[in-house]
Amino acid sequence: MTTALFYLFAALLIGSALFVVLNRNPMYSVVALVFGFANLAGIYFLLEAYFIGALQVLVYAGAIMVLFLFVVMLLDVKPDKPRRGLVHLDRWWFAILVVLFLGLLLGIVPGAVRLITSVPAGHEADIGNVERVGQALFTSYLLPFEVAALLLTVALIGTVFLAKRKI
Amino acid sequence: MTNLQSTAYFLPELLITGFAVLIVLIDVFIGRAGRNRVIWTLSLTAVVVVGVALYVQPVPGEALFYGSLAADPFSRFFKWIFLLATAIIYFISPYTRQLKDTAQNEYYLFLLLVMLGMFLMASALDLIIIYLSIEIVSIGSFVLAGFLKSDRLSNESSLKYVIYGAFSSGIMLYGLTLLFGLAGSTSIFDVQEALANLPQGSELMALVALVMILVGFGYKISMVPFHFWTPDVYQGAPTTITAYLSVAPKAAGFALLLRVLGITFGADPSIPWEEWVPLTGLPFGVLIAVFAALTMTIGNVLAIQQDSVKRMLAYSSVAHAGYMLMAVTLMNAQALQAIMFYLAVYLFMNLGAFVVAIVVHNQFGYDDIDDWKGLGFKIPLIAVPMGIFLFGLTGLPPTAGFIGKVYLFAVLIAAKQFWWLAVVGVLNSVVSLYYYMRILKVMFMDGEPVDKTVSDHPAMTATVLALMVPVLLLGVYWSPLLELIRSSLRIFSPGL
Amino acid sequence: MVVPLHHIIAIASLLFSIGVLGVLFRRNAIIVFMSIEIMLNAVNLAFVAFSNYHGNVHGQVFVFFTMTLAAAEVAVGLAIIISLFRNLQTSDITEIHNLKN
Repeated sequence: MTTALFYLFAALLIGSALFVVLNRNPMYSVVALVFGFANLAGIYFLLEAYFIGALQVLVYAGAIMVLFLFVVMLLDVKPDKPRRGLVHLDRWWFAILVVLFLGLLLGIVPGAVRLITSVPAGHEADIGNVERVGQALFTSYLLPFEVAALLLTVALIGTVFLAKRKI
Repeated sequence: MTNLQSTAYFLPELLITGFAVLIVLIDVFIGRAGRNRVIWTLSLTAVVVVGVALYVQPVPGEALFYGSLAADPFSRFFKWIFLLATAIIYFISPYTRQLKDTAQNEYYLFLLLVMLGMFLMASALDLIIIYLSIEIVSIGSFVLAGFLKSDRLSNESSLKYVIYGAFSSGIMLYGLTLLFGLAGSTSIFDVQEALANLPQGSELMALVALVMILVGFGYKISMVPFHFWTPDVYQGAPTTITAYLSVAPKAAGFALLLRVLGITFGADPSIPWEEWVPLTGLPFGVLIAVFAALTMTIGNVLAIQQDSVKRMLAYSSVAHAGYMLMAVTLMNAQALQAIMFYLAVYLFMNLGAFVVAIVVHNQFGYDDIDDWKGLGFKIPLIAVPMGIFLFGLTGLPPTAGFIGKVYLFAVLIAAKQFWWLAVVGVLNSVVSLYYYMRILKVMFMDGEPVDKTVSDHPAMTATVLALMVPVLLLGVYWSPLLELIRSSLRIFSPGL
Repeated sequence: MVVPLHHIIAIASLLFSIGVLGVLFRRNAIIVFMSIEIMLNAVNLAFVAFSNYHGNVHGQVFVFFTMTLAAAEVAVGLAIIISLFRNLQTSDITEIHNLKN
């Protein structure tokens, strides 16, 4: 049952990601991405990462995608015109390099992971527990936590500064 | 070390944060009149105070914050570079015409926060800190690049910067995931251990992870082929910010590159850095050598074709990243020393060249090379130092640039490896001669002598002259700097 | 969890590739940002999967920070798009070529 659900979520996730990249209307893309992220949250739940799953719905599907939707509507972005082609290629050699590398990535990494993880690692109890994540965040990861707070401040001031015509 | 104990060794960073908060608050309480002046003074004070704190700070025996940060002499050397660069940029900002009529409070604030991010970059021992510190620097720089927001060029450069930045940090993040997946821990020492014990047949995964991480670091030091943002951002951003980006984040990128790649992809962290070798089976040297050769060549070839001085200096900074990458191929103590020496020298030469560009823009509003015609006669006090800086950037004696380049080449020659790379490096230096000398020729050979010379604000002239002194002095008497670097070559390792 | 780890990693790699291709080939800046979000989510998926395999929370903590950063980056990026849109009336990145010589 879990296995079947996982592959279902994964297929829907990949499908909606493809839809985001391949269609012309940004509005549809945003909605498809929200749907994809909801599926990803499902996968997180299956992987026992309940806290992250909840964050995925709240932060990603909720906050970030709403921001996208907001900007798309605010700027009234029109769908790309069909005659102009979907893709642009000004640095073709770089694109070829990246595509080759992606092939390498898809070819090597899953196989290598399979080799490496043939031995199961030690398992601690209830890793998805919010308590465990919280404990890690406020002890050994306290510094990154504070740095992230600072980073959000930087982003906040920066956003206000850039988006406002005159301060 | 626990969090509370660590704060004793974390004073410079805490002070930066404190001053940043202070600037935000002052912004609220002080009226528009005279605000720029107050915040400017406060920012310069911040740099001085942080410098004092850095100077008196003791060296801890272990890593800070549960193994996240190292406050070792290595990181301290880079922190001095960041402080110096920030101080110079702060000092010249009020005299820059481009920044007139802008509210400068955010400008100073973001420079301070970017400096904090670079402090963290120089001492990161943890994958999360690596990522977060790079992002602080990036986001701060995005805003600074778009600082002239009514200017379309500034806007566009900022957008390009964000897109390339987010893209490359995404790729780097995937590399970090792979490392985490191998080790099950975010400490770079655990990652090294896991990489050293990879099962047979999965060695290529280390290579894939290395390339992906190099994308992120390469973006920061503008390594080809992740340099696309460089010319556009350098041209579009305010020139003071361009000068800053070409020096400080590049040094931070190298600090991260040397420490993190040296530890994670080294064969054994317990052997001294003098005998550094990469993981067995990992073509580390060859990979970096190819990137170095590409970076130098493309940087120099494209620099020749530029007519805008800012764009030319942008491509020249790409080429300089290539020269320094040459030494990264070997990554031993000698290479580290050569790179640190070159970074220190490069700080003075490159900042100097950019400050001259700012002065020229202040006085005449020029950016095109042909407009620089006869500047040697019009504004000799600025043009002569520019000649020295250009000599240094080319790597000609008797400037410090020559000594720096000698050390970089000596690394390859002493190791008797990568001869072809040294040859490429020499050829590139010859090519760079062409476009640096083109500026010199335009300034001194073209144009007519004029009766009346002009001069910019004394503070600017003083800055240019002050930057010229170390470029000349370190060219003949460089042993104090070398001693400082030697004593800074103690990189934290939990075994020591 | 019965699904083998390398299947999850394969899916994450595929998702990542889709995101990269989106960034490379689409010309609308907003779609490009969405593709970057897809990349970051692929990374998150890999982190959670590895975290599950290793049986510790470090990977999940990392995802927590990635999400924070993704939000920050998007906010700044969209602010720049808005500011650019005000001057240019377009979000098509191919129309941004003033800077090329």
